[in-house]
Amino acid sequence: MDTIDTNRLGLPNLGLGVGLRSKHYSHLMQNDPVVDWFEIISENYMNNFGYGRHVLSHIASIRPVVMHGVSMSVGSTDPLNVDYLKQLKQLADFVNPVWISDHLCWTGVANINTHDLLPLPLTVESMHHVASRVNQIQDILQRPLILENPSTYLEFESSTLHEWEFLSELVNKTGCGLLLDVNNVFVSGFNHGFDPEFYIRNIPHKSVVQIHVAGPTDCDTYLLDTHDQPVPTQVWRLYQLAQELTGGVSTLLEWDANIPEYPELVAEVQKAKEVLKGHLPNVPVSRTSAVDVISNPVDHQMQATYE
Amino acid sequence: MSELTTLQKWLTSIIVRPGMLDDKIRLADEHYQLKNDKVIRPSLRLSSKQKIEIYSKGYILRLLECMEAEYPALNKLLGQNLFHTFVKAYLVQLPPNSPDLYNLGEAFPAFLKGSQPQTNNLDIDRPMYDLPVDLAMFERCIAEVSRIEGLENKVEEVGDNQMPYLFNTTAIYTSPCLKLLNLQFPLVDFVQHVYNELEPETPVKQDSFVCICRKNYRVNFHELETWQWHFLNSLQNKPNYMAAVMDTASVCSIATDTIMADLILWVPVAISLGYVYLK
Ligand SMILES: [Fe+2]
Repeated sequence: MDTIDTNRLGLPNLGLGVGLRSKHYSHLMQNDPVVDWFEIISENYMNNFGYGRHVLSHIASIRPVVMHGVSMSVGSTDPLNVDYLKQLKQLADFVNPVWISDHLCWTGVANINTHDLLPLPLTVESMHHVASRVNQIQDILQRPLILENPSTYLEFESSTLHEWEFLSELVNKTGCGLLLDVNNVFVSGFNHGFDPEFYIRNIPHKSVVQIHVAGPTDCDTYLLDTHDQPVPTQVWRLYQLAQELTGGVSTLLEWDANIPEYPELVAEVQKAKEVLKGHLPNVPVSRTSAVDVISNPVDHQMQATYE
Repeated sequence: MSELTTLQKWLTSIIVRPGMLDDKIRLADEHYQLKNDKVIRPSLRLSSKQKIEIYSKGYILRLLECMEAEYPALNKLLGQNLFHTFVKAYLVQLPPNSPDLYNLGEAFPAFLKGSQPQTNNLDIDRPMYDLPVDLAMFERCIAEVSRIEGLENKVEEVGDNQMPYLFNTTAIYTSPCLKLLNLQFPLVDFVQHVYNELEPETPVKQDSFVCICRKNYRVNFHELETWQWHFLNSLQNKPNYMAAVMDTASVCSIATDTIMADLILWVPVAISLGYVYLK
């Protein structure tokens, strides 16, 4: 029989956490953070010796921190960016994160970084390519890499595997962990017509180390991963299922645009407690007809402090 | 080239290329000998091209937001449409190549300068071209000063009533996060107004000596007197305090004694704002 230790690659269940965002820096320097743990966008602190790093070092002294990256580009056919990985390692030496995660995606090729999380064709070729890179990255970082399923808006005709199959095989080949973003499963499920519950039932639950919840936007013909809304009922339902199947893993609320004041953010992530008791909040998916909605908003990383 | 490499180059080229979606896809299809509707699976709701468009549209909108965050005053000066036009042209000329978004706007001031029409200094439209370049330089400096290594963990606060520099000027150094700009327009008020969400007045051309610095994690920027600016500039580049004094005296045509007397009054201010520190 499985013991609890074999779950989550032996990593702890940190409880409920939120992303550390510059909008909340001054609040967090003066108030109790309330939540159990924080996730940072690694790139935002890698060459940052300003206020952000100061706040980070305060937060890291009072709460567990996890490093979540967006530029590892694990699926790119460009050579691995060793300088980037070294800087990531340096930041890890400073932060002492409980784990380091990034996405199953590529961000560009030919030295271009689109700052988007681009989908891979889910083929045997991609599998070999990604697995070999994950192994190299794990050797450099000297720890398991935790990979997140991205929201996707297109599928390649050449794909021969479902994403849950691809992730399962990748876990087998590399021993990496999974960051299951249940909102991304919901978004991709709608966009590509698969059943999100079936997806979640068919990933290796023991390798799931963390869950992301977030609020997407309904753009009529597709769902977009906007991280700018409360979490809708459908995503909470998937969260409930994932927690049941994994036996309980660290939960993180992502909110990256229209970021609310800190207490509202905390209240949103704490809805997870009610969900686990079976009380699902009644929240519809936000709809828009606007043409300029953005997935993966990143401009929250740009805020300077000046007076 | 592997199939994966080809697909990635094909999609990246569509995402970062300017122009109409159909043209971009056609050019990529031709160049990589692919057919978009054979590469991307269409669905009942969306065609292959519409799916690609979600990524190509998102790419530019996402980076426009980042540039707006780094250059809010320039965005205000130019108006969003013109600002976006310049940013889009910039991204076409220099697609982002760094994992760090902080590097995204690094070359923007130089790009703006390079995109100015070639006119002579007497052209009455000249300020219209020079002002955005100066403002971009100013805002990029602010972004840099807010992130580079500063003095926060290095220097102990010196009490206001202590003046040890009077006795040991060899111990005075400029802060590593001090940046000096010699601009053609006074921009401090303009930028401050924008940051405080007030309506700024467009500055009129006039030589301006600005210093941007960070102390206790707060970025400050001020207009300096010419000699103060030259002194800090010299202190950054010269081996010591006296050499900086001599240099300033010579550049500003002011007597060395006068500079030294003025410094006795001003150095405490410069210390309190974090421009210089005592090692
Ligand atoms: Fe996520």
